[in-house]
Amino acid sequence: MSERFTRQDFIRRAAAGGSILTVPGLLAACGGGGTSATTTAAAAVKTLPKTITWSNWPLYIDVNDKTKVHPSLLAFEHHYNVNVRYIEDINDNDTFFGKIEGPLSQGQSIGRDVIVLTDSSGLPARMIQLGWLEKLDKSAIPNISNLQPVQQHPNWDPNREYSLPWQSGMTGIGYDPTKVGGEINSVEELLTNPKLKGKVTLLTEFGDTIGLVMLANGDDPSKVTDAGFARAVKTIKKAVDSGQIRQFTGNDYAPLLAKGDVWACFAWSGDMVQLQADHPGLKWVLPKTGGMIWTDNLLIPKGGNAYAASVLMNWYYRPTIMAEVEDYVNYLSPVVGADKVLEKKDPAVAKNPLIFPTQQMLAHVHQIDAKAVNNAKYKQQFQHLIGA
Amino acid sequence: MTLATEKPDGITGRGTSVGRFLHRRAWLTPYALLTPGTVWLVLFFVVPMYYLAKMSLEQGLFPLFSFSWAWSNFSDAVSTYKPQFVRSLEYAGIATVVALAISYPLAYWIAFRGGRWKNLFLLLVIAPFFVTYLIRTLAWETILSDNGLVVTILKDVHVLGSDGRLLATSAAVIAGITYNFLPFMVLPLYVSLEQIDHRLIEAAEDLYANRVVSFLRVTLPLSLPGVFAGVLLTFIPAAGDFINAQLLGTPRQFMIGNVIQSQFLDLRDYPTAAALSFVLMGAILVLVLIFARVLGTDRLTAGTAA
Amino acid sequence: MIARARRRVLDVYALLALGYLFLPIGVVIAFSFNNPLGRFNYTWQGFTFKNWLHPFNYPGLSSAIKVSIEIALLSSLVATLLGTLIALALVRYRFRGSATTNLLIFIPMTTPEIVMGASLLTLFLNWKIPQGFGTILIAHIAFNISYVVVTVRARLVGFDRHLEEAAMDLGANEIVTFFRVTLPLIAPGILAAGLLAFALSIDDFVITYFNAGTTTTFPLFVWGAARVAVPPQINVIGTAIFAIAVGGMLANILIQNRRARTA
Repeated sequence: MSERFTRQDFIRRAAAGGSILTVPGLLAACGGGGTSATTTAAAAVKTLPKTITWSNWPLYIDVNDKTKVHPSLLAFEHHYNVNVRYIEDINDNDTFFGKIEGPLSQGQSIGRDVIVLTDSSGLPARMIQLGWLEKLDKSAIPNISNLQPVQQHPNWDPNREYSLPWQSGMTGIGYDPTKVGGEINSVEELLTNPKLKGKVTLLTEFGDTIGLVMLANGDDPSKVTDAGFARAVKTIKKAVDSGQIRQFTGNDYAPLLAKGDVWACFAWSGDMVQLQADHPGLKWVLPKTGGMIWTDNLLIPKGGNAYAASVLMNWYYRPTIMAEVEDYVNYLSPVVGADKVLEKKDPAVAKNPLIFPTQQMLAHVHQIDAKAVNNAKYKQQFQHLIGA
Repeated sequence: MTLATEKPDGITGRGTSVGRFLHRRAWLTPYALLTPGTVWLVLFFVVPMYYLAKMSLEQGLFPLFSFSWAWSNFSDAVSTYKPQFVRSLEYAGIATVVALAISYPLAYWIAFRGGRWKNLFLLLVIAPFFVTYLIRTLAWETILSDNGLVVTILKDVHVLGSDGRLLATSAAVIAGITYNFLPFMVLPLYVSLEQIDHRLIEAAEDLYANRVVSFLRVTLPLSLPGVFAGVLLTFIPAAGDFINAQLLGTPRQFMIGNVIQSQFLDLRDYPTAAALSFVLMGAILVLVLIFARVLGTDRLTAGTAA
Repeated sequence: MIARARRRVLDVYALLALGYLFLPIGVVIAFSFNNPLGRFNYTWQGFTFKNWLHPFNYPGLSSAIKVSIEIALLSSLVATLLGTLIALALVRYRFRGSATTNLLIFIPMTTPEIVMGASLLTLFLNWKIPQGFGTILIAHIAFNISYVVVTVRARLVGFDRHLEEAAMDLGANEIVTFFRVTLPLIAPGILAAGLLAFALSIDDFVITYFNAGTTTTFPLFVWGAARVAVPPQINVIGTAIFAIAVGGMLANILIQNRRARTA
């Protein structure tokens, strides 16, 4: 979409008073990203390719509703005089991986410089193992210093050599207080309270469901042991067998929760932001035993241009730019300071703890052990548990 | 067919040289008609199936599989997932019967009472396909909601208990399957009913002086090819479906399609997934052959079931 | 009296069946006028026309719908042509290999979609065919052919051969007979098959998913977007496709009626 706009086009629009670009464009030009902006731009003149290709999930970047462009991306193109081919063709981690594994396993390029995959799917970790990812060019990403501390050392890429977070989401408990008749803040209640029988859903995502239940059992989901995993399976199985669990869902729990068919469920923070817009009564909490966090990561598949991809990543790691994305997408920002930028422009978003969680909340979220996600035996058992 | 050769071609005008060629090489005609379609199917169905068959006999862990005549893939698949297999055939069977009961009168009505609106009614029949399945399922969730009208009424007449529900039950999955494949039943039924000569039915009514008898003796037998095609087109995709069980059911309703899907995409155990696929296809084939025998339509559909 | 009552019963039954088919569509249409504040169009919030005024508010949606319509048109045309020819050959001629052909037509229908999708993916990878519009089209034609054959054959089986023989007696050759006699008689079957193929193609998700490459169709877009949004615009597009199809059909019927009256 955006690659069709030429530079002239951009200038004309800007001059016509279109406000699309003023926020990221002007702020960026004023040095939102620190002193690095000029140096990277200078380097870019030497080695940036004509086109950078980026595959992402649909509706996962800022959109100007009137002009249908992605302002942050357009500003990037203008700033570096480069085209970005932005393709929204990732709909599902596993199926996207199915599409690219063929060429990658044969050493062919997949024609992308940047792709976005979720850590809790285990696929980013597996791609590192298989040698299918390029390393980031960190000299081109000085803004990496803005990375949220909690995101700096994931167990599958401890020094962020191959990945940078794009957006994150927290997994906790979503519920309808009027149906439940009060507050809920424990996984145990969800799985055993007879009042909720048949009105509870869990998630089909391994990391989310196993993770939350392990935490409730007092186990550590970031270091899954056979015993801990077995305990979690046992706990879930008991709830399934008793009829407590209505379904295992993807994000299709959302309409059920909104309609009142499900009263309490494992739910993602980003969904709840949208649901609460229409149903302000719905609540989302981190369980008292702790919640999970998952992250969609920017990755450079083998054959991609690591330098160009890194320059793009650096751009989005300016708080001003990420703030623009966050204002539209409403997921969790990996960039420190994005909320400060939004405080004036969109205080409702900046103050929403589901979009900008407090440090206290972030201290209570955990990442799933990537090794466990890629453990075929565990996965088989989990799939069996949820019915397949 | 040979009659035409005795007439001078000049009378009919165009296309004569082709016509003459076909007369001389009459045995070629069916092959000429078949070739384009079958070549397509061989290239884009048979050849891929060959790759898949090879995969079903391989062993190993993703992404390294190696061919080893691993027949155990098949026996393991059947013994592990027997409940899901049985459930698939059961749900698909019930859905097919219900769909037939709904569709036959509807197809009959469109064919004989539709008049000039026939095509419009046909379009309404396939209307569900125009709104993508996710939106369709959301609509069903709205209709069948625990607090919705349907459930409330069913509770009032005590079909459902006070804490009963429709969503996330076998009933919902079967209803979803029935709905989604209904057009596959209505269309072939309509096609075969529509071509029945009305005079034949009138004559039968005069003869038997009883509409029921005349229907059973004339209309029904004449529409059997449509019934057969409709049953096949409904039952087969229904047995392999996974979306309805996924969205409207619980783990306890999961069908073999759900297993195949998760083996392919979540577990990446391609050999098992491929073996399961072939078992499912085999089971369907056997059932269809039995069905053809029972219905006594061997002759009519010698084709369909080969 | 009894006969009339029986007619009534059938009328009511058929209308109920049509109502059942249409009920979810009615809900879909109603929700295209919904006015949710969030990005999920799940529960009724209030009436608005704004979704209809801005149907393409989501970038990617319009190009996805264009791809879907193009593929549905092309694949249903090609499949209807190829399938009708096969049906003609199978019903009209006895020939060596007809049993094999029957099997070849039948087995794709016994194949779960996911299996067909995955096996085609393997093929395209092995043959190094880049995935995209072309591979989606190939796949859709492949799964549509069998459905066309079965639908058209149901029509051909009960076909009265005497009509063709009469035409030939009158001096028409095979080709003229085919176009003047056979084709008009089996046309309803072909139309039904074409409609079915179009509908199957535009609704296909699973097979497309495996073979789409970077191309996005309407169902793929909806699936992918559902993670972040299920906007009412999706209902608007679905309703619009449906309305255009019904409108076209109505216009066709009215034109034919007028012609019939003036003739």
